[in-house]
Amino acid sequence: MSYDIAVLGGGPAGMAAATEAAQRGARVVLLEESAAPGGQVYRAPPSGFIGPVDADRRAGDALRAALLASGAELRTGCRVWGVGGGPLVPQREPAAPFRLDALDSDGRSFAMEARALVLCCGTHERIIAFPGWTLPGVLGLAAATILLKAHGVLPGRRVVVAGAGPLLYAVAAKLLKAGAEVAAVVDLAHRTEWLRALPRLAARPDLLAQGLAWRATLVARGVRVIAGAGVTAARGDEVLQAVQVEGAWIACDALCIGHGLVPATEATRTFRAAHRYAPAEGGWVPVLDADQRCSVPLLYTAGDGAGVRGAAAAPASGRVAALAALHDLGLLPDHAAARVAPARDLARAAKAGGAMARMMALRPALVRAIPPETIVCRCEGVTRAEIEAACADGAADMNQMKQFTRCGMGPCQGRICGETAAELVGMHCGGREKAGFATGRLPLRPVPMDALLGEFDYADIPVPKPAPI
Amino acid sequence: MIAGMDVIAEHDRMKDVAHPLRIAGISRPADVTFSFAGTSLSAPEGENLAAALIACGIRRLGEGQDAARPRAALCMMGVCQQCLLRVDGRLVQACLVPVRAGMVVTAT
Amino acid sequence: MFDVAVIGAGVMGCSTALFLARAGMKVVLLDRGAICREASGVNAGTLTMQMTRAALIPYALRAHEMWLRMPEWCDGGHVLATACPGLSVAFTEHEAAMLEERAHFRRQAGAPIELVTPARAREIEPGLSERVIAAGHCPIDGFTSAYLTGRAFRPALLNAGVELREDCAVQGIAPGFVLETAAGTVQAKRIVLAGGVWLQDMAAWLRVTLPIKVLINQLVVTERMAPVMRTVLGVASGLLSLKQYANGSVLIGGGWQGIGDRARGGLAVKPESFLGNVRLAAHAVPALRDARVLRAWLGLEAETADALPAIGPIPGIDDAWIIGSVHSGYTSGPYLGKLLAQAICGQAPELPLFPIDRLLAQEKAA
Repeated sequence: MSYDIAVLGGGPAGMAAATEAAQRGARVVLLEESAAPGGQVYRAPPSGFIGPVDADRRAGDALRAALLASGAELRTGCRVWGVGGGPLVPQREPAAPFRLDALDSDGRSFAMEARALVLCCGTHERIIAFPGWTLPGVLGLAAATILLKAHGVLPGRRVVVAGAGPLLYAVAAKLLKAGAEVAAVVDLAHRTEWLRALPRLAARPDLLAQGLAWRATLVARGVRVIAGAGVTAARGDEVLQAVQVEGAWIACDALCIGHGLVPATEATRTFRAAHRYAPAEGGWVPVLDADQRCSVPLLYTAGDGAGVRGAAAAPASGRVAALAALHDLGLLPDHAAARVAPARDLARAAKAGGAMARMMALRPALVRAIPPETIVCRCEGVTRAEIEAACADGAADMNQMKQFTRCGMGPCQGRICGETAAELVGMHCGGREKAGFATGRLPLRPVPMDALLGEFDYADIPVPKPAPI
Repeated sequence: MIAGMDVIAEHDRMKDVAHPLRIAGISRPADVTFSFAGTSLSAPEGENLAAALIACGIRRLGEGQDAARPRAALCMMGVCQQCLLRVDGRLVQACLVPVRAGMVVTAT
Repeated sequence: MFDVAVIGAGVMGCSTALFLARAGMKVVLLDRGAICREASGVNAGTLTMQMTRAALIPYALRAHEMWLRMPEWCDGGHVLATACPGLSVAFTEHEAAMLEERAHFRRQAGAPIELVTPARAREIEPGLSERVIAAGHCPIDGFTSAYLTGRAFRPALLNAGVELREDCAVQGIAPGFVLETAAGTVQAKRIVLAGGVWLQDMAAWLRVTLPIKVLINQLVVTERMAPVMRTVLGVASGLLSLKQYANGSVLIGGGWQGIGDRARGGLAVKPESFLGNVRLAAHAVPALRDARVLRAWLGLEAETADALPAIGPIPGIDDAWIIGSVHSGYTSGPYLGKLLAQAICGQAPELPLFPIDRLLAQEKAA
């Protein structure tokens, strides 16, 4: 299978990128891990589930409809585990195509090639460790959004919502509407932070109105909002029973907590593209030009994976990336004219999105407050004290800390612990830039060996020449 | 710690309040039965497995002594790997698969 | 002025520096990156006689002992070294013949390798495939967690008085062994080049032409899983190394080649090699089918023209020494560094070095 453009990730940026490129005649494939395109914000409910239609649902449906009509090939249930080729193949002229290895919806591995690659891999949630965060019943804010909106399930009966950013109020309002009790909303931001963000939010009156409506719901229902505070501990016997805020325990059976969003840069790191540390955009982000081009030829990123700006900005950045790819492949004669509208949309949407992203930036005080014995890396059971001991033993960047402790070597590959660990390493070695990030490694997600292997005979294995005796 | 004890007691009282975790007002496919760790459960066909387990009151997905346990769904988007289970013998992330009739789900 | 400057803080450089310092020398150990962050920290950690070249067996046997007793000679530093039996298996008649021949040479060199029946091999390794038709068994193999190597050496080096300069790339060597770095010059009475695949570039600083081939070895690790094996396992050709760590993860290696070069390091996993390597692993231990592959990475291995080590004085330049290009060099590393330190201190090394005159002569003839 060979394409002009492969788009990795079927959120708003990916859907728009694939649509734009296919509409202009390119051979395009969109690869999406879920059963349907949509991404996290515009996630479609499972087949056969019909619920109320809200603004996000309408926006998602519009993007889905345009994608289906565009002629782009859509592969859902498709888990891309390998990215390679292109710039990673040395001294090849013309440049080698990109190669993608993926598992199809039946779990079989297959490969495809594309001349250009648009990465729309979105974000994952930053959750800074605190005592008790590994208790069942603690889950992410974004996770709660997915659970509530796509799956129609409440995370608990009496829920504490905590962390930073607009998702706090969205989740709390949704919980109330769906019949749960919200024991408290615990917002790291002081009210003054919200007031400072207001002028930028005014660029998007729809978002502002939505936010005010959420707040009004909370006030009407008498929900306690604790501003400028965080959850300092969670406890429970077997499962979560209470969380601690400002020294007092609040009973709950679920805690939805999130400290912002982190761009998913696994693929750009694997390609050794240049990155920069931009806390206001979520952390390490690929270095891009005005058209979403990475430092690596024919590689583009769009949406929140390129730096957090929110779902509303994502489609425009996807279109800008697709147009640049078409132009670079020689498939778009009048790039300058074509990019005007999406570039303008992107600039406008990014303004409001950027204000929210800044509010969700990592707060170092949270990391400094983690008690030494708290587990930071859940997969490998590595504590803050162990990470700091490794730093004291000379680990001066993320790769070395990883080797010294196994932090980030488990199945999530550091996606959950990475932000906390990097902040801890940075505290010792002179900042996040110096701490760097773990080298990108394949597979992008754990791959069942069975799916890779398929059926084979020993004779099929191309065993190389033996080493000398 | 007294205050803490009070909230735990409050939590136990809350358990008695019958309150379905599946949100009302959504039309769902008919229930099918499946099993988790030997217990028979039911959920609408096609419901996300991680969500179905939460709706059935099951939070702990992996037991054990090592530091990586217990586990529970954390991210719901395929990233954290904390909801890894076996479905019909194969390792899968619960948050990425739908419920099907008769599926046998066990801890890893 | 240092007595010795060791350039390259991998296992060879660390070991050399440590034993030189303990012999009373004032040592500076420089690396362009962090300690043991290249091959020494990313290799498969295999301690096996059955993948070691016959000529290196006497060295590997002594080094095996050193790894297992590392805390005793390295101020408590360790790499979780584990002793276990090793098996090298054959699936075809051709491999069985290769196995027999190779076991013979290695046995002559002192490795206690015996050929065993498939039934016996499966007693030793219950995880082994039914398809094995012959096996070589070495009771004293083992493995380490190579990623701990830098952490294991570091405190001992500092305790011994070695001045460790990480992130300090040497850019050239001026007459009188004046090492040029971005942070200024460092002068020493002697130098040791211990730069792995970069030995070729280092030798060029001294106008010595020493061709070093670069192997881009791929490695794969699985998620933690229930015990599926308890030996260090390989195949007759040497193209598989397989072991399960105490934490349940299984490391799959064997020198399958990825994409990369000396200048840029390991760049990318080659999908064909990745697939071939994991298929071979699952062919040997079928229960691996149930694993999930977690991570693949690359490490650079150096090889001389005759695939034997480059260890000894640099001809024509007094007080300049070289160490590296040891096949399966991690296994033998700590012992080889100790030997070179003995030679530099003017003692007769316990076992002979591998002087590079032969490689330079070949270069001239070519």
